Amino acid sequence: MLNDFLILMKQELVITIIIFILLFIKIGSKDWKNESLLKLINVLLLLNVVFSFIGNQEGVLFNEMFRTNDLISLEKGILSLGTLIISLSSYSWLQNHKHVAEFYMLLLSTLLGMFLMISGGHLIMFYLGLELSTIPLAAIANFDLDKRKSSEAAFKLIISSAFSSGLLLFGISLVYGTTGTLLFSELAQTLTGTPIQIFAFILLFAGFAFKISVVPFHLWTADVYEGAPVAVTSYLSVISKGAVLFVFVSVLYGAFKPLATTWYNMLFILSVLTIIVGNLFAIRQNNLKRFLAFSSIAQVGFILIGVSGSSQTGTASVIYFILVYIFSNLAAFGVISFISAVTGKETIDDYKALYKTNPFLSWVITIALFSLAGVPPTAGFFGKYFLLMAGTGIAGSKGLIIWIIIAALNLVISFYYYLRVVKAIFMDANETPIQKLSVPFLPKLAMIICVAGIVLTGLFSFIYEYIFSLSNGF
Amino acid sequence: MTTLLAIDWALLTEKLILIAIIIFASLGIALYMTYGERKVAGILQDRPGPNRAGPFGIFQPFADGLKLIMKEEIIPDTSNKALFILGPGLAMSAALMTCAVVPWGDHVELFGRNIALQIADINVGILYVFAVVSVGVYGIMIGGWASNNKFSLLAALRGASQAISYELAMGLSLIAVLMTTGTLQLGEIVKQQMAPGHLWNIAYQPLAFIIFLVCAFAECNRTPFDLPEAESELNQGYHQEYSSMKLGFYLFSEYINMFISSAIMVTLFFGGYDVPFLNESLLSPNIAALVGIIALMTKIVCFIFFFMWVRWTIPRFRYDQLMNLGWKKLVPLALANMLITGAVILLWFNK
Amino acid sequence: MSAIQIIFWFLSALAIVSALMVLISKNPVHSVLWLIMVFFAISGHYILLNAQFLAIVNLIVYAGAIMVLFLFVIMLMNLNNESEPQKNVWMRLAGAVSGGCLLMILVSLVRQAIEINNKVAEMKVGDIGLIGNLGKALFKDYLVPFEISSVLFLSAMVGAIVIGKKN
Repeated sequence: MLNDFLILMKQELVITIIIFILLFIKIGSKDWKNESLLKLINVLLLLNVVFSFIGNQEGVLFNEMFRTNDLISLEKGILSLGTLIISLSSYSWLQNHKHVAEFYMLLLSTLLGMFLMISGGHLIMFYLGLELSTIPLAAIANFDLDKRKSSEAAFKLIISSAFSSGLLLFGISLVYGTTGTLLFSELAQTLTGTPIQIFAFILLFAGFAFKISVVPFHLWTADVYEGAPVAVTSYLSVISKGAVLFVFVSVLYGAFKPLATTWYNMLFILSVLTIIVGNLFAIRQNNLKRFLAFSSIAQVGFILIGVSGSSQTGTASVIYFILVYIFSNLAAFGVISFISAVTGKETIDDYKALYKTNPFLSWVITIALFSLAGVPPTAGFFGKYFLLMAGTGIAGSKGLIIWIIIAALNLVISFYYYLRVVKAIFMDANETPIQKLSVPFLPKLAMIICVAGIVLTGLFSFIYEYIFSLSNGF
Repeated sequence: MTTLLAIDWALLTEKLILIAIIIFASLGIALYMTYGERKVAGILQDRPGPNRAGPFGIFQPFADGLKLIMKEEIIPDTSNKALFILGPGLAMSAALMTCAVVPWGDHVELFGRNIALQIADINVGILYVFAVVSVGVYGIMIGGWASNNKFSLLAALRGASQAISYELAMGLSLIAVLMTTGTLQLGEIVKQQMAPGHLWNIAYQPLAFIIFLVCAFAECNRTPFDLPEAESELNQGYHQEYSSMKLGFYLFSEYINMFISSAIMVTLFFGGYDVPFLNESLLSPNIAALVGIIALMTKIVCFIFFFMWVRWTIPRFRYDQLMNLGWKKLVPLALANMLITGAVILLWFNK
Repeated sequence: MSAIQIIFWFLSALAIVSALMVLISKNPVHSVLWLIMVFFAISGHYILLNAQFLAIVNLIVYAGAIMVLFLFVIMLMNLNNESEPQKNVWMRLAGAVSGGCLLMILVSLVRQAIEINNKVAEMKVGDIGLIGNLGKALFKDYLVPFEISSVLFLSAMVGAIVIGKKN
């Protein structure tokens, strides 16, 4: 029994051990310098990623409160890899920060919450994982302690997420009231489509939709992404969304299968709205963080198309796309984080003529933007392709092919705003360009991993096939 | 008739009478505590104390009460008259509500009925005391806010933060007591201490008693924790703007709080209405109840004397010393006590 | 009507009226006090359903600690109705309409829900609310969520202290 526990929960245990190491470092009397502390933490996070990929097993623990299988372990591994990349690229910002150990403690607490959320088998575990992944994030959104915008971002994040948690809880309580159980496995059998259960599902969906910034619930995104420090923004846009999308897919396909027509129609409407609104607002943005916020809203619209597909292709395409999205977005955020930490400049006008002074950074951000837009040799193209393929089969059978057409048209529109940044970097002239910056080792390593990821994930098909083969997990 | 509306009217009547007796008794005891305080102060300061109103100054409390009632009632020009009047009311209600769960004696047999001398022996007795103490904080805060006076507000906020900090340590120390007794019902706790072969809980949980005592001082706003009503700083504290009977209510509620805290401490740690070395089953139930009540009152009076004795012995804490004591010393101490208790029970008693 | 029904209707009316007064009050301190009244009413409901521990802990935690903190913030910030920006009329109309639609949907759902129709809640029956049984369930069936909530509290405290520290 103890053996089972240690092996099945190994990823959570590794993260908990790292949190405790940080706690003891903070309590201890020896004063650690920031650089050595950061190097230690990055090594520990690398160990965490390595552990995720060895010795995975299937099983349930604690009366089905915790369940794990190969697919779930893969998802957690992807999230750990993303966290490692974020930690590497925020090296320059954290070098001069006073609270490094607390930052990582809170960040890893959110990661622990996401792990528990993904492997939860009970709605209470899911809810606690969700809260554990939100509240420390609101605290670290405030970590630019001398800037007002940072406090504003944290405030908006905590108030909005408290409200959405309230809606989610109302949904959970109605589900419990009408079915008498909260276990995912039993919900699939006891749910009938009565109106009150549909309403409960809508409320639950609202809770999810808030976390992934689907359109009517997206109003917090731009302000929070702009005000929070860049490391936190990248974490929010990639890891937080990814974790909730993983849970979303497993909840929709597993527990709420009886309500399939309801959520399919909801996904259709929300996805169309999301793609259109995300694109329209991204066109007008000048601040790069806000720009990436709106572009990520549009990307989520695409992911929802993939979610609506049938069980196996849908899951595989979503997971593959999130992997690709992690690499592309973190490459872009890596460049922005480094430039912002060193020079403090964040707008597209400041990035004009970046190519002349910093060719490495320009190429990294260009490849990242190409991948986000969906230009063929990069993995972003394949990601979007698989998503649209997953969605087309069902859309055709329900007569909603218009959805795919709208998505494809919006892809073209998104090209405009992504390539606008590329044009600014390569072709515009600038009076006061950003000076030549030498990138320290760790952020450079992060950017190289991301670019390599973008290129290789697109070229090597075994990655997608591996994900596809595991996708029968639900 | 006895079950109209599915209520047992006889039970309701006996409870109402019991409530009335206990409230009047508390008010009377609080009245004479004012006298007692001044006499004890006099003794400790080597002077006579009040001795004009009646022999030995026995009628002094009535003179004080008459003075308070006859004074002019001033309500300052604030926009919150409702809250201004509500503040003392809340303080007094919270102080009186706690007596509902204290076991004043065993039981009395009158008119063929077995009347328990405890208004409500609920399953969660200790937690109820705790809840009422938590709500009592509002009397201070609302009084300070509604006075429309910055000094009152500051004093009220200090008082409230002191109260919630010490509530925490109080609750944690109570958990250790709960572990040894295994029940939250106050009637059960007293009966356990009375059982042959058991000692009073002070012998099993001395550290918890000390922590609870300190926290009780803090919750009643008694010196050395009386910063919220410090006369020499912050003007008069949160009841600065109050006059006449409303001020009387605030002062009275403090004394009733002291009385009730002593009652709870005696119940939890000193055996309640237990008379040591006396086997109660040898006496008739009514006489045993009477002896129990007298024993309980004696112990409470000793504690009240202790409260007053400390007032004139120790100087007042500064605010940061107060917060330091509450959070950094008492809370870890209470947690350590809880751990040790748990370890001892697990290893030696295997309950 | 038995006494329990009278108590139930009284507590429900008290809860709804207090909740409305929270929204309608002009003074934020009054809103907090009405909210405390709502918590008292809900604790009364819990006691009717024989969940005694939950009732008392609701009072200790919500009415006794969280609302005190709310009051601290409001008193220190001295919020008044006069200093708040006034919303324009169209926003208030839109709010009223959408709130009304939601209310209508909720009422119709509850009326036609077959799981709820003609069923009466069992009062004073059921022993999961008694503290001993609750403790056993919490530590046996729901152990993992219990421990995870402790991690949540720790990280919330760390976050609050980092944000609030003066350096």
